[in-house]
Amino acid sequence: MEKRSTKASSNDPKHKHDPDDEDFYLNNDDDEYDDDEDDDNDYDDYMDDTDDLEYTSSNASKYDPTPSVEIFTSQNSTVTPNSSYASTSLKNLSQSTTNQPDLSKSLTKRNIELDEEFKYEVLSPDKIVQYMTECIADVNSVLELTPTITRTLLHHFKWDKEKLMERFYDGDQDRLFREAHIVSPFRPNTYKRTTSSQSTRSSRLKEFCCEICFMQYTEDNMSGLECGHKFCKPCWREYLTTKIMDEGMGQTISCAAHKCDILVDDTSVMTLLQDPIVKIKYQHLITNSFVECNRLMRWCPAPNCSNAIKAQYFDAQPVKCDCGHVFCFSCGELWHDPVKCKWLKKWIKKCDDDSETSNWIAANTKECPKCQVTIEKNGGCNHMICKNQACRSEFCWVCLGPWEPHGSSWYNCNRFNEDDAKKARDAQEKSRHALQRYLHYCNRYMNHHQSLKLEQKLTASIREKMEEMQQHNMSWIEVQFLRKAVEVLCQCRQTLMYTYAFAFYLKRNNHSIIFEDNQADLEIAVEKLSGYLEREITSDNAVETKQKVQDKYRYCEQRRKVLLDHVHEGYDKDYWEYQEDL
Amino acid sequence: MSGIAIGRLTEERKAWRKDHPFGFIAKPTKNPDGTLNLLNWECFIPGKKGTNWDGGLFKLRMLFKEDYPSSPPKYEDKDWRPAITIKQILLGIQELLNEPNIKDPAQAEAYTAFMQNRTEYDRRVKEQAIKFSNVQVTE
Repeated sequence: MEKRSTKASSNDPKHKHDPDDEDFYLNNDDDEYDDDEDDDNDYDDYMDDTDDLEYTSSNASKYDPTPSVEIFTSQNSTVTPNSSYASTSLKNLSQSTTNQPDLSKSLTKRNIELDEEFKYEVLSPDKIVQYMTECIADVNSVLELTPTITRTLLHHFKWDKEKLMERFYDGDQDRLFREAHIVSPFRPNTYKRTTSSQSTRSSRLKEFCCEICFMQYTEDNMSGLECGHKFCKPCWREYLTTKIMDEGMGQTISCAAHKCDILVDDTSVMTLLQDPIVKIKYQHLITNSFVECNRLMRWCPAPNCSNAIKAQYFDAQPVKCDCGHVFCFSCGELWHDPVKCKWLKKWIKKCDDDSETSNWIAANTKECPKCQVTIEKNGGCNHMICKNQACRSEFCWVCLGPWEPHGSSWYNCNRFNEDDAKKARDAQEKSRHALQRYLHYCNRYMNHHQSLKLEQKLTASIREKMEEMQQHNMSWIEVQFLRKAVEVLCQCRQTLMYTYAFAFYLKRNNHSIIFEDNQADLEIAVEKLSGYLEREITSDNAVETKQKVQDKYRYCEQRRKVLLDHVHEGYDKDYWEYQEDL
Repeated sequence: MSGIAIGRLTEERKAWRKDHPFGFIAKPTKNPDGTLNLLNWECFIPGKKGTNWDGGLFKLRMLFKEDYPSSPPKYEDKDWRPAITIKQILLGIQELLNEPNIKDPAQAEAYTAFMQNRTEYDRRVKEQAIKFSNVQVTE
């Protein structure tokens, strides 16, 4: 992109507006998109894109509505889940034939069963912009407003077309525009009397005072929105730049006038701004708010991935980005079957914050009854002498009462069963139990989490093993079972990991016991499989090992399915009761 | 854009001297050498007639930064627009005195009193109004 020197021009109020600056993507309502064209055609085009599996950006430019402002790194190929699947496996195949099968690739693209019913698309940044433009054009073909007004309206309704249509034809349009902070295009605008079309030579030369900087400008250098508040262009520029760069605001910038709630539209922003960096940031903010407001879209959460997923309806379903990342469409976490988003969120929060630290303190320490300093008893007798030099009180660890009445019978606190002491003990017992329970689930969750992190390492070692086995008279195709075994192992670990988050909140009943049995069974099988994969493979045991590994991973796969099916059945039939207060 | 801050504040001062709400005072402080410091204003807001604040004259200082009016003067609220004038700010504060924004309390103690013990709050307000009714203002 051409970098314009903006320093000189931004301070110059007489700087002529460069027409090149206007060709931005936001206002794209012209010939590039035929309003009458069916969505189906676009869909076909997506399919075409994936049919030729060349991952080049050659045909991206075909739809690229931003030839002059390169907003995003060019990525292409929007695919449907099925074809993305096909392309992945084909890619793997082509890599495999080079005798250097890239396992790590195939592993990050782990095959979690994707629900065939749940249709979604992966949109590259360019396609997101294109889709946004299409949405606007689509609605606009009915409403027949300017794209800019339609965009603001759509944003107001979180890009829910139906809702907008409903409200638009529901009567009170004035109220609708007011609520969306837009000046109604249907009302004669009292402010526009003196603007361009009627402006004569004399009014053009007349000077206006900008109420922000109090400097005089000719009309050419004044600008404003439909609300009629005019300020000089440098002040507008300064204001917009502050909002965009410092406050990260895009779609929600208001007019610079006091108590005016009219929103600055994208056309005005792009016309007023000159600095390409600010413009790009603005476009990013707009795209971001488009994706984030839209219930049917979600950014791929993988680091360095700028794709978004667009679904046909909102549901907690696994989706797979072109980058290979598989995640939950509803919450954006790794695909976490069997635990539901709500509980996973709660669990992650619990693991992240230090509520457990305070739990540990409650379970393992007591406070000095006199000065309240926290004490951890790490051995010795129950006769406590507070270490706090200003306190030095003597008390009994068991009952927390003063030491004096205990006399020499320290080993047998005679106040042990007094109510206060009993209550204190019960409370401590309770938090100790809660802590132990949490640690039980947390340890196992973290353990699988940790193992999954070592996936790369495991992959490398398995690749070595595969090469080794090929030297023991096994063909390339005969050692492929190892690749599958690793895949199953990781899949099972991920499932197991989330079963602990699920189980933590589960109330005990008959079905929870069945669930725990399934969990234990899968856990044991997975550990065995993991063990086999770490074993030495010699020419003597190669065949035997292969048999064992294959049996085990098939068993794991099967047990995993049983476990998940049972949990899903439970969701359908309301087996599960939860402990909300944990 | 530091040029704008001084230019704008000079205009604000002119506009204020020409016309300002009754009882209000707003003036830039003086540097040790006697020149005006336009970035530091001393202001007084009278309590609104008919409210508990009536009779009081409340002092506040407004500090402007070099990038004013892009950035609000220090103390300002969240919905800042560069076109807000000093007059509008002061009138806004007078309004806020009697109708505090309970969703965004500025002082913990006053907020607690306002929410939990209105009689005590009102008593304290009147006390403040009397206390600040005799502020010496030297022009």
